[in-house]
Amino acid sequence: MSAYLAFAQSGFLTQLAYRNEVWANLFGKLVQVFARVAIWTAIYGGAGVIGGVSLEEMVTYALLGGAVTGAARYETVVGGIGHALRTGDVAVWLLKPVHFPLYVIASEVGRAFYRFAFLVVPTVIFVALFYGMLPPASFFHGAMFVAYLVLALTIFLLIAALFGLVAFWLLTSFSLEWLMQALLNLLAGQLIPFWFFPEPLGAIARQLPFAWIVYYPSAVWLGRLSPEECLAQFGVGLGWAAALAFAVWLLWRRASGRVVVQGG
Amino acid sequence: MRQLRIALRLVLMQIRSQMEYRGAFWIDRIAQIITYSSSLAVIWLLVDRFTELAGWRWPELLLLYSFHVLGYAAGAAISFTQMRDLEERVRLGTFDALLTKPISPWLYIVFSGFNIGYAGHILLGVVLMVWALWIAPVDWSLLTIAYLIASLLSAAMVTAAFLTIIGLTALIWVRSNHLYSIFFGFWELTRYPLDIFPVGIQGVMLTIVPLAFTSSVPVAVVLGKQVPLLGDWAPALALLAGPFFVALAVLCWREAVNRYQGAGG
Repeated sequence: MSAYLAFAQSGFLTQLAYRNEVWANLFGKLVQVFARVAIWTAIYGGAGVIGGVSLEEMVTYALLGGAVTGAARYETVVGGIGHALRTGDVAVWLLKPVHFPLYVIASEVGRAFYRFAFLVVPTVIFVALFYGMLPPASFFHGAMFVAYLVLALTIFLLIAALFGLVAFWLLTSFSLEWLMQALLNLLAGQLIPFWFFPEPLGAIARQLPFAWIVYYPSAVWLGRLSPEECLAQFGVGLGWAAALAFAVWLLWRRASGRVVVQGG
Repeated sequence: MRQLRIALRLVLMQIRSQMEYRGAFWIDRIAQIITYSSSLAVIWLLVDRFTELAGWRWPELLLLYSFHVLGYAAGAAISFTQMRDLEERVRLGTFDALLTKPISPWLYIVFSGFNIGYAGHILLGVVLMVWALWIAPVDWSLLTIAYLIASLLSAAMVTAAFLTIIGLTALIWVRSNHLYSIFFGFWELTRYPLDIFPVGIQGVMLTIVPLAFTSSVPVAVVLGKQVPLLGDWAPALALLAGPFFVALAVLCWREAVNRYQGAGG
């Protein structure tokens, strides 16, 4: 376990070395958050409330939307695992007493913490100064939001690892990175929360694991879920995380088994 | 003439090498088409629920999106990956080797790296544009069609010029890639009408990051809509933006190559 902590720590520290990049990313991120807020402001026009949701709530939703997806990069996980499997670099990792997908996830967690502290939080504060932002609905919802963020990061990176492992059979991780983006666009609730989706699309999207990446954490912050629902959905999310972890473990065993066959 | 023949030969070589992995190539293209379609689906979901976005309805937003995809793909095919990798060439010193060859380094870099990976974008863009033109409320005349084609060309030129200028900074500062994340931040905004953004962002997108000219300005002109900040100048400026930024990129290229000292100390 301490090994993975060390990987996470080194992931965090490597980000310090590329400060220019972080500044550029901060700017790029800022533009995107502004864009999301602008879209909702335009849609609301003069209306204060649409479908029981106020503009302030939507602005807050837009600000929280990048909390996890802005901090963690699925590309590095999908690409990292895909590349190692394709080039055979993975053979080196098979010699080490380390679970390779877990290593890739751990170092991305380290980088995600760095970006969360130095990219996401400053961006949210900066845009909130212009447009305002609602506090969590209650202390309980605020605390649950933090727990949901950890779960969101876990599910996000596990799905990415799963996509990276599939690259082993598909021979291209490029397409899998794109497909993951497609699913995030539609099913994470990044731009449009599911309460604005036409039914039954909204009901379906709420059940899929992508919903825990953006939709549920933000909905919890806004108090759209009652305390009981918060706990229940957290349990379902944990179930998804466990299922995904099992799938990663299984695919990794199969893929690493095939590496041996291919090598030589 | 000789240069043109070489460029053509380089492109053909590139196509042949890319097609070596035909299966993977088309899987990648299909994945890109799916992803672009999903971004469009998000816009569809928005207008399905709220009818319009700053006065733009579905057919108009569809035209905007198809124009954004086509203009970008045409421009990026002759600039993006090539210029992104310029940083690596500078770092490894292979750019220095190019300078000694009896051929323009720009010509070599751009055409030997001609990115046919944008085939997916073009395919999707054409289908979406035909669909949009079918349903969009435009009074079609020879003039509007000519304008649409010319402004698409101008959009591709702005894209290529801007991506090239970003890549060029590698010749002076060695690193350029982080600037691309700023580019793509703004680039995503061009899927939406310029009207929805705060004046500050509108101003930036019409000047130092001139991406408004790659989609919402020309499309608003074709649809007969008002363009913020530009007013009556919009139709002409959308056409002039391409040649202007290409000229600027040519100047920047000359200047950067002249000042280039190599990455090594």
